Order: sequence, then C-alpha cells, then structure tokens
Amino acid sequence: MLETINLSKSFKGKKVVQDLNLYLADGESVGLLGPNGAGKSTTISMISTLIKPTSGRITMNGVNAIAKPGEIRSVSGVVPQELALYQELSAYENLKFFGSIYKLRGKELEKAIQQALEFVGLDDRKKDLVKTYSGGMKRRLNIAAALLHRPKILILDEPTVGIDPQSRNHILEAVRALNQTDGTTILYTSHYMEEVEQLCDRLYIMDHGKVIAAGTKDELLSILSTENKIKVELNKLDEAFVEQVKTIEGVHKTEVTELQLKIIAAKGSNLISKLVHLTEQHQIQLLHFQTETPSLEDVFLHLTGRTLRD
Amino acid sequence: MRSFIKKDLLIFLRDWKELLTVLLLPIILVIVLNFAFAGLFDSGDEVSMDLQLAVVNQDNETEAMEQLKERLVRDAAFEEQEANAILEAAGEIQPVQLLSDYLESDDVKEWVTVHHLEEKAAAEKVKEGELDGMLVIPQGYTADSLYASFAGEPPTTSLIYKIEEETTDSSALQQFIQGFIEQLNYQFAMQEITSGTEIEADLPEGGMEDIGAAHDFTMTQYFTIALGGLFALFVVATVAMKTGVEIRDQVFNRILLANSHPMRFLIGKMASTICLVVLQIIFVLLVSHFLMAVFPDRSIAFWGGVFVMIVLLALVLSGLAAIYTALLLRMNSVDAANGIFMFFTLLFGTLGGGFVPIYMLPEWLQQIGEWTPNGLFLSILTEWVQFEKLSSIFQPSMFMIGYFLLFTFIGLALFPKRGRAQ
Repeated sequence: MLETINLSKSFKGKKVVQDLNLYLADGESVGLLGPNGAGKSTTISMISTLIKPTSGRITMNGVNAIAKPGEIRSVSGVVPQELALYQELSAYENLKFFGSIYKLRGKELEKAIQQALEFVGLDDRKKDLVKTYSGGMKRRLNIAAALLHRPKILILDEPTVGIDPQSRNHILEAVRALNQTDGTTILYTSHYMEEVEQLCDRLYIMDHGKVIAAGTKDELLSILSTENKIKVELNKLDEAFVEQVKTIEGVHKTEVTELQLKIIAAKGSNLISKLVHLTEQHQIQLLHFQTETPSLEDVFLHLTGRTLRD
Repeated sequence: MRSFIKKDLLIFLRDWKELLTVLLLPIILVIVLNFAFAGLFDSGDEVSMDLQLAVVNQDNETEAMEQLKERLVRDAAFEEQEANAILEAAGEIQPVQLLSDYLESDDVKEWVTVHHLEEKAAAEKVKEGELDGMLVIPQGYTADSLYASFAGEPPTTSLIYKIEEETTDSSALQQFIQGFIEQLNYQFAMQEITSGTEIEADLPEGGMEDIGAAHDFTMTQYFTIALGGLFALFVVATVAMKTGVEIRDQVFNRILLANSHPMRFLIGKMASTICLVVLQIIFVLLVSHFLMAVFPDRSIAFWGGVFVMIVLLALVLSGLAAIYTALLLRMNSVDAANGIFMFFTLLFGTLGGGFVPIYMLPEWLQQIGEWTPNGLFLSILTEWVQFEKLSSIFQPSMFMIGYFLLFTFIGLALFPKRGRAQ
C-alpha cells in the first residue's frame, strides 16, 4: 500500500533521516519506535507529504506520492505531535471547519462530526472552547480532526505525549479499535515502548535517522534470545563492584538505577554464582534477585547502548 | 470559502483583548481628543469672535491718480492718451475704499470691529492689548497696486499687518486680511488676462472664499475618521498575526493535508479582513456619531457614500492582509514578521494622520501621508463630508481600487506554493 525507498532528508547539510525503507500493508498496524531526535517526526512529515525528501521515493499503491501528494493526502489522516487545533473555537466548530475543508457538507458533515466526537468521548463537551480542555481532551480532539473523512491510513505522531493515563488508555483503545474493527491502516510513532508493543503488528526501530531493526515483536525479541536479563537489588552499590560485574564473562550490558542493577548476559554464563561471590567480596548484601524475559526496551538498549528515554 | 471566513471571524471576535482595542479604544480616543482640541479648531468658535482691528491709512488717494499717470508714462511707456484712458477706468476702483467697504460689510462686522487711528495711537493700543492688530495702508499703496495691475507687474507696496503677539484671534484676523489681498490681486490679474477695459473687483464674501454650500469639517469628524482608519490597520495586522498562530500550531499544515487549495486560505484571510474592517469602522463611526453627534443632519445619500468609502478602504486593507499573510508564510520567524507588520501599521498610522492631525506634519510628509491607505481614506472622506460631491471623490476612489488591485497582486505573487511539499 505505502512504501518508502531509501528515503533521506537533510537540513542544512545535516542528515536527519537516512535511507529509510518502510512498508505498510493494507490494514496493518505498524510502529515507528525511537528516542527523541531519532527522525520519527521528519519521517512522518515526509510520508504525509508535508516536506519533500532530499532523496528517495514514496509510493502509494505504486504511484509516486512525492510528485502527486494528493495520492496520500486523500486517503490519510494525520495526527501531528502538536495540537493542530483552533484554541478559540469549540470542538464542534473545529471539526466543522476541518470537515468542510475535506469537502464534507450538510448531513454528511454533521454525521462525521458526531461520530468523531463520540469516538473520542468528547460529545458532551463539544460546545466548549478547546482552550478550556485538559491536555488529554485536546489530544483526543486532535485525533478526531484526522478521522472526519474516514481515512484508510491513520498516521499518528506521538499522540500521547504529556497526557494523563486515563486519556492515554482512551487513545490507545481508540486506535486499536480503528485498526481491528474498521480495518484502518495505522502508522504509529512513539518513544513509549509499551504503546507500540500493545498496538502494533510490526515495528521499525529508529535511531540517529536510521532504521536499526525491523520486524514483528517476536522477531525483534529474538535478537536477545541468546541473552538473559537479570535484575538484582542490593543494600549498597559502589562503582568498583559495578566495574567488576562488567568484567564477568558473558556480561554484555549493565544499567544502574539507585540500588538496582540490571545485567544483560549471555545464557549459560553462570552469572548468578559469580555475582554472589562478588557481593561477598564487596560486603554487599543481595536483597532481591530476578531473571526477566528481555523486552523491546532491552532490544533497543542492546542495539544502541542507551535507553529510549535518554 | 465560507468556512475559512467564518473561522477567521469567530477567532477574531472571541479575542476580547483585540476586540476592545479596535472597537472601544478609537472611540475613547475620539472623545478624549475631541475635548483636548475643543475650542482650538472647531468652526463654531468663529461665532463668538470679536476682533478689534485698527486701520491706519497713510495713503493719499487724491494724489494717487497723478502718481499713477506719471508712472504709466515714465515706467510703462504708455502714450499720454492711453494713460488718460486707463486713469478713467482706474478711477472706478479705489482699493482703499474697497478694503474699507469690505471691513464695514455686514458679514465682517459680525466679528471684526474696525478703529480708524493714527499709526502711533494704534501701535500703543495694540501693544497694550486693547486691539488684536493693526492694518497699515502705506503711502502710495493705491497708485502702486493700480499700476501693478495695469502694467502686469508685481506690486512693490503692500498692506502691513502688525500684531503684538501671536494668538488665535490675531492669526485669524491676519488670515482673513491676507485672503482679501489675494482675492483683490487675483481679480486684477484675471482682468488683465481677459483684457477687459473695465476693472471690477469681486470681493470675498464674509471674509471667506465662497465655496458653495459646503459643510464644516470639524476636529471631531477628523478624529473619528482618522482613528477609525488607524485601528483598521491594527485589524489587518491582527488578522495576519493569527496566521502566525495557525502556522505555529500546525493547523495550516492540517489545512494543506486536507488537499485544500492553499489559495483558499489566502482569499479567506482577505474576505475576513474586508468583513472585519467594514464592521470595525462602521462601529467606530456610528457609536462616535451617537455619542457626540459627529455627522449631524446628514442625508441617507451621505451615509451611503461613507459606506462605499469604508468598503473601498476594506478592499485595500484586504490586499495588505494578503501581503502580510504571504510574508508570514515565507519568513522563518513569526516574531520578526509581526514586528514588520507593527512597523508598517505605525508608519501608515503616523503618515496618514492617525496619531497627530495631518496638518501638523511638514508639508512633504502630508503629501506622502495622502498616499497611505488610511491617509487616502481620510482625504476622501474629508472631501465627502464637506462637499458630498461624487466628482470630488471619484479620482481618489479610483486610486483606492488601484491600491486594492496592486496589493492583491503582490500578495498573490508572494504567496508560497505550499500546496506542494517543500
């Protein structure tokens, strides 16, 4: 359905997105995961035809969408990271304006507004000015404005940034319903791992403008299939101890959080006995010990050497 | 298109701060300035004027004819016979008598009292403040002014007007005497051009040039119109600045993504500017009128004309809004763009007489000011208020339409083709 081929974008000579290859099949839900500054929003802007790539191609059902941006615009709804709403208008007035520029008229427009408002749970507040809304309500209306023309593809750029858990759940449920019930194709960007894990069939992990891994969740997790993730809680933690842990054979990565130490190590590296030995040497008491299945967060850490929120 | 206009109108009308600025502030300023300038310029004050003028006649009219004949023969090389014929005609005109008749006429007597005095006595009274000024008719004035008119040369002798200190009253007196002298010279000159043998001086009526049934143009009217125009400029700047908010909040991108032609956005801005400017100026004019009777006893046709002028200004300003909007979309910094808009608003406002009465500006600035949209609007309405003649406003109205077309063309040319991805 939608494909990017070696898509690149440079600003003032600096490459923000490099050779990005991405594919969205009809009805799929695809996540674009990466930390802030990874190039996700620039990618979304190029795919939604707001900015022109420096090089590469975007095709929509085989048609060059850079030359014919209408190919994508007519079938897509974009939920930008910013609140693209008129604060001085009510939710209803905002939707009426955006619906009318999508050439919806009369009863068709009224029906689309009503459906969108009900879908995001704002029907009872539709006459209130947007500037009186909470952050979560504004985010929900931001999504509603992109749904009026019933797009085949919904592109969401970090739609849950800075909102309360309740609104976040509402948005995630709404996006899932759109994909699973209505068959809307979803391209969802986030730096919240759990959101894309929850919503998406496939993932692209981006860092420094490049896709560093792609696949289904299981495929990505298999990157760490030869590793174990061990979390230990200690009564005290010193640098010398951590440095010695890093020297244990098979340890790939360590991450310190207050009195907690996360270790990613190769399976069968006999880590536990060596760790117990080291705590005795440093007179550190081991309070809690847990072996975890690696998550996508760990995959990202493994691939980039840093966490998604760094 | 309707949705674009409605959206812009709603956004503007819900901005209370802006609304108070463009609707109430001009009315408050009109009231304040009206009181501040009251008594200085309004024509109503003329009624209560009682000017005291001393006339000192040093000319000897009986010797004047001899002096004239001598000069005609000696300096202008007239034949004796020709000189006699001219003397006969000139005998009909006595400039000093004309002046005297003028000063004693009913119209002038209403506000000027003439005292015939010797120079020394007159000078003392003027010095002591008993009299507002003195007019000296110098020796040889009659002969010189008649010779000048027959020989087509500028007169070497002129009336001398003296005042002790500049006051509103003494200035008014000076202006009307100057008006008399100019009118007299003009009549002589006309007579010369048309080669008439009979010279007949057509004196001004009531100390003022007769300009037909003109209405007074008061300071209150001036401020109402000038401030209405000035704040219309602020409306334009605000409409453009709202575009900055639309860009910052990415709603402009959302409009583009809807595959809506970006030109609809620009034309929507122009149309909403027209609506807002028309509503704003009508509000300012009507409220000022009901509060201070700015345009009393005027006909429906007069108000119709005013409405047409307002629409013309709104058209020009919609073109300006198109330029501002296009510039904003081209510039990287919204703040810098807003700074430019405010600069032009203040520039046009000052030159167009919005901040200080336009006649207080130097002549060259006044001329430039008449070419600003608000200055032109003020100029047209000044004519319309006084004369209510279509012929007097036709040409400036054409300039307004020209401005509209020019500004719109520039706005459209500058408008970036944002429909395409950048």
